Amino acid sequence: MSEWLLPFLAAAATGVLSSWGVGGGTLLLVCMTLFLGVDHREAQAINLLFFLPTAGISLFFHRKNGFLDKTAWRQAAIPGTIASLAGALAALAVDVSLLRKPFGLFLLYSGASMLLSAKKGPPGNHTRGA
Amino acid sequence: MTDRNKNRIAGSAGGLVNGLFGGGGGMVLLPLLTKWSGLEARNAFATCVAVIFPMCIVSTAVYLFQVRPALSLVLPYLAGGVVGGIAGGMTFEKVPVRLLKLIFGAFLLYGGVRYLL
Repeated sequence: MSEWLLPFLAAAATGVLSSWGVGGGTLLLVCMTLFLGVDHREAQAINLLFFLPTAGISLFFHRKNGFLDKTAWRQAAIPGTIASLAGALAALAVDVSLLRKPFGLFLLYSGASMLLSAKKGPPGNHTRGA
Repeated sequence: MTDRNKNRIAGSAGGLVNGLFGGGGGMVLLPLLTKWSGLEARNAFATCVAVIFPMCIVSTAVYLFQVRPALSLVLPYLAGGVVGGIAGGMTFEKVPVRLLKLIFGAFLLYGGVRYLL
């Protein structure tokens, strides 16, 4: 039973947190790779897939409520999507151990920026999504 | 630098992280977008999710095509995510976000140290 129960609970907890505007996908990635014994690449695939339904639902509401800035979206999303494609292909082309240290540094940065944003207080109470 | 170029750089940086690490693009994109675009926090957050969405679609496609995790491994996470997302949405604005950020910020630092050692 714990084969699916622990993953389910970890994902539910992350889903709750990210819809409150805390953390997001990085938390689930760390949980999967360090505690649930998921292979790093599988964890990345699951994490990306995990984001889609949650974000899709919240985007529906953001759009309806007029929170989306279409100009900024267009300008950031097009080069961003190309960069993301390049990043994914690069990550899968190199040995997985090569990304351990950069990922560790990225986690340190994420953790520090989360602590700093906690100091400043929540950046607006209507944030939903990942 | 023009606003257009700032948005392009913010998007590209977020996209690269998102593709390389399989997530976390928002950690880079949101602060840049907030600082540079002058959007109000709520709009910046919503726009950030909207920018990451197409990134995740393409990198998910790449990862799924190459990694092919078993469905039985994936399903509990997806089900948990949906349940958690709905529960989070329903309890929104009743939570000590600040405290949670302190706890999970520390958790990420711990994760970073584990990865570096």
